[in-house]
Amino acid sequence: MPDKPPPGAQSAAPVSGHGIFFDGATTARQDVTVELAPDALMVRAADGAVRAKWRYDELETMSAPADILRLGRAGDSGLARLEIHDPQLAAAIDDRSLPVDRSGRSERRMRAKVIFWSLAATASLLLVAIVGVPHIASQLTPFIPYSVERRLGAAINAQARAGLDTGHAGAAFECGNAPKEQGGRAAFDKLMGELTLAAALPIPLVVVVVRKPDSNAITLPGGHIYVFQGLIDAAQTPDELAGVIAHELGHVAHRDGTRTVLQGAGLSLMFGMLLGDFFGGGAVVFAAKTILQTSYSRDVEASADGYGGALMGKLGGDQRALGTILSRIAGSTHPGPRILLDHPETAERVAAIEAMARSAPASAPARPLLTKSEWAALKTICSGT
Amino acid sequence: MSNIDATAAAAQAGDVAPAVARFRGEPGAFWRLVARGAALLMFTLGIYRFWLTTDIRRFLWSNTELAGESFEYTGIARELLLGFLIAIAILVPLYTAFFLLTLAGGPTGELISAIAFLLLTLLGQYAVYRARRYRLTRTIYRGVRFHQTGSAWRYAVCALFWWGLILLTLGLAFPFAQSRLERFKMGHTFFGNLPGRFEGSGLRLLLRGLLLWFLAVVPFAVGLVATLAAVDWKTLAAAADGGDDASSWLESSGLGGAVVYAVLTGVWLMLSFAILYPIFQAMLLRWWGSGLRFGEMTVTSRLRTGQVFGVYARFLWYAFLFTLVVGAIVGAGVLVLPRLIGGLDAMSKEIATTVAGIAAYVAAALGYSTIYQATVKLGLWRCMVETLDVSNPAALDKVAAAGDAASPVGEGLADALSVGGI
Repeated sequence: MPDKPPPGAQSAAPVSGHGIFFDGATTARQDVTVELAPDALMVRAADGAVRAKWRYDELETMSAPADILRLGRAGDSGLARLEIHDPQLAAAIDDRSLPVDRSGRSERRMRAKVIFWSLAATASLLLVAIVGVPHIASQLTPFIPYSVERRLGAAINAQARAGLDTGHAGAAFECGNAPKEQGGRAAFDKLMGELTLAAALPIPLVVVVVRKPDSNAITLPGGHIYVFQGLIDAAQTPDELAGVIAHELGHVAHRDGTRTVLQGAGLSLMFGMLLGDFFGGGAVVFAAKTILQTSYSRDVEASADGYGGALMGKLGGDQRALGTILSRIAGSTHPGPRILLDHPETAERVAAIEAMARSAPASAPARPLLTKSEWAALKTICSGT
Repeated sequence: MSNIDATAAAAQAGDVAPAVARFRGEPGAFWRLVARGAALLMFTLGIYRFWLTTDIRRFLWSNTELAGESFEYTGIARELLLGFLIAIAILVPLYTAFFLLTLAGGPTGELISAIAFLLLTLLGQYAVYRARRYRLTRTIYRGVRFHQTGSAWRYAVCALFWWGLILLTLGLAFPFAQSRLERFKMGHTFFGNLPGRFEGSGLRLLLRGLLLWFLAVVPFAVGLVATLAAVDWKTLAAAADGGDDASSWLESSGLGGAVVYAVLTGVWLMLSFAILYPIFQAMLLRWWGSGLRFGEMTVTSRLRTGQVFGVYARFLWYAFLFTLVVGAIVGAGVLVLPRLIGGLDAMSKEIATTVAGIAAYVAAALGYSTIYQATVKLGLWRCMVETLDVSNPAALDKVAAAGDAASPVGEGLADALSVGGI
């Protein structure tokens, strides 16, 4: 007992007093005399018989109202309890026993330890979420069989399609099926045929042009690509359109959609379980996921740009066309908000695309991907009803 | 013998000791406890909740006094943490399996989703029963613990059955469900060797609550029917198929009228919920409290509806003040934040704004939750304890110890499945 005066030093403190004892075997309330012997606390019944003898170092404070000291015996499987209502007697016991600590100092020290390690755990979990989860997802993605990816893609596609398919003035959601659109469809299929052949992806592609005004294209797991009408309107050459689609094929080749799903599942599991029950935990999980995934996507987009440039080079197309259309879309007043949110800063990206085109020139001689009349037809793929 | 007869008989026998149940907790101490807890929850991403829950229970238990002796909660936070880890070990493979199975898609996938939903609900009810067992075996009174027997799976199946019935009968089965489930719980509850039971009658609760049910459900049903009837479905279908002028089909199909009915129904629902819910809760608590029995000891609750309204009024008042504070802070943040992050690139700005948004959201949510705990949870507990009339408390004097401490798995599952109680 380093921080306490030796027993016996407190001559003024009472050495005995009144207590209430429950022996842990029945609920009978026993009025007892508590005697502070030098090495132990003696509990005596009215007839003087010893009910309990607890050493000071085995005493344990149990939860009780603020004005009552409730003692138990540490390590005792029984539930015997001694209650002291007299504050002076309680203070005297506190003085003699190291584990009894009514000031709550040891409890606070314990609690500080818990708080410190919880904060440390939080920090390392955040680190895992920011660095570990994307890494693990990247490592796992190659092991997901393509059959599973296609099923996953089908499930997500059903959801995503319902979300995308809003308001297009009575016309079909997909372009290229009306009689007036057949010419555009043929030109688009030709362009896709060339890209698909050159890319030689291990998974069949499902590429559709849809009536959405944003200048954008999105790729889902399982080779589902949506090209928006707004992008076709914004493209000035076949190479610009092909450049964007080649970029999307990069996402398919790198299986970015599947990796995003794995990351999302991992983050949901980590944060969802951890945050548990407190009010509004779900919304926090969702927001945190969005942020973390946004920050992951910078590298992903850059590497899809690289893939797209190489693919365009293989076809003999213009490797810089993606940069051209990106600058134009970003400069216009009507960019889809997604393209800015999900994509690294456009100027940076365009510079990277330029640099790549310089350092890894096209592997095939330059040639037009579509004839002038085919391109004119393609622009009308969403014209009919 | 009904409750009132029992009380009257006991009163004649001279056994009624008024104010035998007391609550001695200082609201100020509880406010400090939950406010500090909320701050720590925020910075530990919720890990601190096991310690907070334990502190709250210790406070509520140890300040609740029956016949001159206070209760004691002996649970420790580490046990809850362990229960949570076990629950994770059980649930993670289960979730993963369901996720992979639903990928099958089509009707099989939907069937599997439905089965998964049912199974998780069942597991939730199982957890409720096991968590109750944990809490009871950590509840000590006069050196003797409570315990609970009975199969948690049986309870879960019963609960699932009754909740299905409640949904099918638009809530009319609720009193009978409460009565049966409470009988199951209390019939398997013991204080030492003293068996508990529940004597609340489902029919009586139904008769008391029938008027409330009409006030809540009938306007809702009428509103729903009026909304649906106002829509000319054929015209709407035809318009949705071919027309492209939105305003014309909105008029011709009567959708405008339907929207009015739907809004009126919604407003009525909100109003009636605010007024009827405290009445309903007071009725349910009074009925529940008056049905509790331990051996010869019987309990009657004198809880008044006005007290429950008072509790919620306090909550609304504090929530209103807190909203003003949050509004002022968010307003200041909106003004200051753009200056602080002015020099960053677009991407970092986006992230900084979102992080600030999440932090504000979490702080606000935790603030409301703290106010709720300190007003509603503590208030209802206090009112409930202080309005209990206990007859024959002498039945508690000669109880022998029985039962052992139970595992915290149920608590962990209940936590992970968000079906927690106190």
